[in-house]
Amino acid sequence: MEMPQSTARVEAEAIARSVPGERYDRVVRLAQAIFGAPIAALNLITNDAQLTVASVGFPKGSMPIEDSVCGVTVQQNEILEVRDLREDERFAGIPAVTGSPRVRFYAGIPVRGQSGQNVGALCILDLVPRTLGRQQREMLADLGALLERELAVQEEMDLAGQVQQLMLPTSAPDIGGVEIAGRVQPAREAGGDYFDWFVVNDPEGAGKRLQVVLGDVMGKGLAASLIASEVRAVLRGHSRYTDVGDAIARTSTTTRHDLEANNRFSTLWVGRLDPVSGNLDYIDAGHGLAIIASTRGYRRLSQDYLPLGMPIEDDWTRTSDTLAEDELLVVVSDGVFDVLDDSFDEAEARLNAILDPALSCRQIVDLIVDFAVSHEATDDVTALAVRRMPGAGVEATSQGAPAAVDPDESEESEEKG
Amino acid sequence: MNFEETDQGTHVVLTPEGKFNLVAAPPLKARIDDLVAEGKARLIVDLHAVDFIDSSGLGALIGGLKAARQQGGDLRIAAAGAQVKAVLKLTNLDRILAPYETVEEALHDW
Repeated sequence: MEMPQSTARVEAEAIARSVPGERYDRVVRLAQAIFGAPIAALNLITNDAQLTVASVGFPKGSMPIEDSVCGVTVQQNEILEVRDLREDERFAGIPAVTGSPRVRFYAGIPVRGQSGQNVGALCILDLVPRTLGRQQREMLADLGALLERELAVQEEMDLAGQVQQLMLPTSAPDIGGVEIAGRVQPAREAGGDYFDWFVVNDPEGAGKRLQVVLGDVMGKGLAASLIASEVRAVLRGHSRYTDVGDAIARTSTTTRHDLEANNRFSTLWVGRLDPVSGNLDYIDAGHGLAIIASTRGYRRLSQDYLPLGMPIEDDWTRTSDTLAEDELLVVVSDGVFDVLDDSFDEAEARLNAILDPALSCRQIVDLIVDFAVSHEATDDVTALAVRRMPGAGVEATSQGAPAAVDPDESEESEEKG
Repeated sequence: MNFEETDQGTHVVLTPEGKFNLVAAPPLKARIDDLVAEGKARLIVDLHAVDFIDSSGLGALIGGLKAARQQGGDLRIAAAGAQVKAVLKLTNLDRILAPYETVEEALHDW
């Protein structure tokens, strides 16, 4: 017996991990209704197991591959139809036939993944022997094609999300005396929120500066993430050669067409920090959600400038502040602010939770993002925390959505390609 | 989300309700585009029944404003609640989309 190639089984596992079941439940319910069968399911076939990811009349979960009929279906490229499983020596002994629910009839259509190989099967089961007519077989094939399309869309979205996660900074900036961490949790696979940090040379020759960015492109999902990638890249390019205000103005000019054509806008908060003196130049382009906080209180680092992509040009000009050694710079996206009822009083009331000096910046952004997610944030959620570490070693961490930047997974996605 | 529409001859009042978000914004924006294309470019969006707006809702209003102004008209918002006002202020979009307290005030020079 020829088993499907291992890449297909790896792909099946990846799909099973990312499957939001409701998406496939609909097609499975349709199959069940069309065929008037008590059981219909989408089963993915991995190395050693059948994973039922969507089903009607049969529990979701996994079973050993030896007990799976769909495990045979995926080895062929056409419908497997078995009038009576009890009379087929391959299946007469499997638990679903010998025990509950004592199925008799099986029909399954293999379902391909992006790789073109079969990753699972859509099947219908009945408790009495039966046969499918020609039209019914065509219908089953159509439903299988529908599921393939759903799987392909989901895989594309997951890959887009991975690309976006991999664009986030993951290593410490090449500058001493600062601790920084950021985390973004998109509402969908990808999103319009991002953070960034990188080192630039001060255009007036005063040495290295750490530029930190939190951007939020209107909307959610893949479309917003495309625009976010562009704004990120353009800002990175312009930031190398000029001060922070000018960099924003040039970024606005460069991205204007694409933002307007897509009816999108992007808020941006961009700061440029000298870790030695604590001097912090910043631009707030309609973002409004940056603060410097300490046990003495907090102040907002906000300006009256418009986001990028508005019908009128603004003249983004930097404001200077100083980040003291015992102060924390925190920037969040509106997804966080929404769960605080868009209220600074609510935010202030929770500030103490992140001001414990024993917390690392990484722990602080985790606290903020986890808080927002646990309070049912509906938007992308992002947090960035920065503080100076005079005379201390440099530490920096960043973390994306869980299961997005795990090294094992990125290896798998390479195999997939 | 549904929205009511009242054509007053000199202007059209659109009244969305509930959450003005990613789901609700595109239909309203599409309707605004249609109205502007029909030459009805003086628009009031009465927000009294909107309890939540997100960036997509803001985007629809800004997009509608652009479309209306390109045809020599305007889009004005009225009776925004606390959350809508807070978001407009946060993003500084109140600079180009000033919230009027009532529909009557929004009509002042039409």
